[in-house]
Amino acid sequence: MRLLWLSALSCNGNVHSLLNYPQYEQWQKGFEWLYHPLLPSLHTFEEVEDGVKGCDVLIVDGTLEQNLLKHRRPFSELLERYATEAKHILTVGTCATFGGIFAKGEAGRTGVHFCGEARRGEYEWFWQKSISLPGCPVQPEALAGTLSLLAAGEPIPLDELRRPKYYYAYTVHDGCTRNEYFEYKIDEHRFGTLEGCMFYEHGCQGTYTHGSCNKILWNGLNSKTRNGQPCMGCTEPDFPKEGLWSTPKHMGIPVRMPLGVPRRAYLTLAGIAKAFRIERFYKPLMEEE
Amino acid sequence: MARTRLELIEKIEGEAEVLYEYEGERISFAQIRFLNSRHIEKILQGREPLDALVINPRVCGICGHAHLIATVRALEDCFERVPLSQKAEAVREMTLSLELIQNHFKWFYLTVLPLLGLEAPIQRALEPSRLAGEMIALMAGQYPHNSYAIPGGITGEITPVDLLEFRARLERLKLLFRQSLIDVDLEAFVRCERIEEMLSKEGDLPRAMRHILKRGWERVGQSLDHFIVFGGGGLFTEGKSIGTRLQESINLRYLKEEALEGNAAKRVSYRGRYYETGPLARAMVLKTPLIREAHRRYKDSLFSRILARICEVPRLLRYLETLCDGLDLSEASYTDPGPFPASAQGTGIVEAARGSLIHRVTIEEGRISRYQIVTPTQWNLGNGTRENPCPAQKALMGLQRNDPAELVFKAFDVCSVCTTK
Ligand code: SF4
Ligand code: SF4
Repeated sequence: MRLLWLSALSCNGNVHSLLNYPQYEQWQKGFEWLYHPLLPSLHTFEEVEDGVKGCDVLIVDGTLEQNLLKHRRPFSELLERYATEAKHILTVGTCATFGGIFAKGEAGRTGVHFCGEARRGEYEWFWQKSISLPGCPVQPEALAGTLSLLAAGEPIPLDELRRPKYYYAYTVHDGCTRNEYFEYKIDEHRFGTLEGCMFYEHGCQGTYTHGSCNKILWNGLNSKTRNGQPCMGCTEPDFPKEGLWSTPKHMGIPVRMPLGVPRRAYLTLAGIAKAFRIERFYKPLMEEE
Repeated sequence: MARTRLELIEKIEGEAEVLYEYEGERISFAQIRFLNSRHIEKILQGREPLDALVINPRVCGICGHAHLIATVRALEDCFERVPLSQKAEAVREMTLSLELIQNHFKWFYLTVLPLLGLEAPIQRALEPSRLAGEMIALMAGQYPHNSYAIPGGITGEITPVDLLEFRARLERLKLLFRQSLIDVDLEAFVRCERIEEMLSKEGDLPRAMRHILKRGWERVGQSLDHFIVFGGGGLFTEGKSIGTRLQESINLRYLKEEALEGNAAKRVSYRGRYYETGPLARAMVLKTPLIREAHRRYKDSLFSRILARICEVPRLLRYLETLCDGLDLSEASYTDPGPFPASAQGTGIVEAARGSLIHRVTIEEGRISRYQIVTPTQWNLGNGTRENPCPAQKALMGLQRNDPAELVFKAFDVCSVCTTK
């Protein structure tokens, strides 16, 4: 399968993230780069600007900007040309999908199909063959895996934002090693420790962020929340929010509830959970007898 | 009239354009352009200070960690005093060093070797950089784009189990360095001062350097011979070197930034002069024996520039070992520095792969009112004038038709994504 990678306004983070895919060498045997921003490819960028043939999957990363000029041609012209030909279009990373961080830099910056949560409509004609792979950056497994599924002709169930459910049906909360502290509503968390949940004080968005960060671990090993960093919600349309390190609260209760949990049910649950007071959660794990 | 040619430089971080001017067959002047900016400095304005820890790694996909550490240092500088354990400091140094290593491997195999027309198997870039990423992830949760360094320390706790995993990968990295780049004893190589000794070894580094000699390119790409290093402490020393004159103290007061018409990158100078920053500058200030020898013979040419970058790898590997050995896991990872000051200014400096990176933040009424980032690219690839060119421009000027202009340019390890204004 032939892939063509076009970057709009990007930090190149998605490019480097893919290079960390543990099975990269094995994986790449099934694919050919018509163009990749770093790796050896069949064509130069100038050839891509002039038009090359054979693009099966168009990969777009970076934030779009009106009148964005890459070299000799507007980015939109390249996007349209290759989107017409490609069988699939992947918007890779939160920038290309929803606009992301750089969309905050200037008015008129957007993702391909979305501007934050709003559908843009400009590229409606290729919506049906697009797949969203948000993340800042994308998890390499999600990108490499989606491409392998496409190559195998497997159907890929998508959610309403066109994210593959295999990777985005989970929440980041799912698999977090701090989960027990969340369940029993233990609301103290200190940085630099193995214990404690960051939902209550430190802005963790894991309970309502779609992503595999704690299922398919990063670099095969770890995740932000396991390490003690709040999930910043980087796969979601509203990334980045303001005040990322603290939890907005209303009358002492976090304003935003875990995915699908009604506020009232949460309050009942929290009351019961808190009544347990399980001693082992109040000591450092390594000192527990 | 001078003939001109506009060339796209790709397969760097992003793309750049160079407008070459020729006199006959010689390049008489070159203008370097970065077309787009993502406006990170503007995005930060009005935000809570800690948000910068999340936004700033996204300045650059390959140097994001350097931006994180520069950010946390700038934020900590806003406090009167921040209690920071030696452990937290050492772990930050570890992850920072690993980012340099993955960058150097990628640059050598994905950028330099193909331009020399030598075989460049991508797995020789990918395996070590992936390992470095795993080692960062062990300490910092993930790579790229984590925010694990916060004022007062680091977010994670490190157990002896993490350290075991870390050390196992470090051994593998050392082995890969010897198997692919140069087969030498690391300890001895750091002290090596003879070019011939380096050239006589097995590996892709001596192969590349022999190839450069064979083509007669060893003196090509000489530049200003002005070097600057802002980030002291750790493995590097701050200072500047002009020719071989060394001066150790650097004062940010003399740093000047200028915006340029039609260019997303600003240009920077120190006391009115342009400087080169990066591995060659660091080696010149540190008086690294082998690099001084290369400089004595071939000046600040592409030969010295390439050698200096790769010669950082064994030093970094040994540094990582020393840091592991010195790590006292019983120390705190994090000590709460207390509430963020409502008004303050702070500066954070690190040595990133490509050179000195400087972050300056101003906080007013609890919010970021101003944020300035000076990246290595601005030093090396700025746009000066014909009479007073910036380092990469100077290196390109005078090149003849058969000289490898693209290699000369890319030997500076060009990055265009870090335009931040
Ligand atoms: S830290 Fe975040 S992801 Fe982990 S359990 Fe708490 S809310 Fe969930
Ligand atoms: S944990 Fe959250 S912020 Fe971090 S990469 Fe995953 S989704 Fe993004």
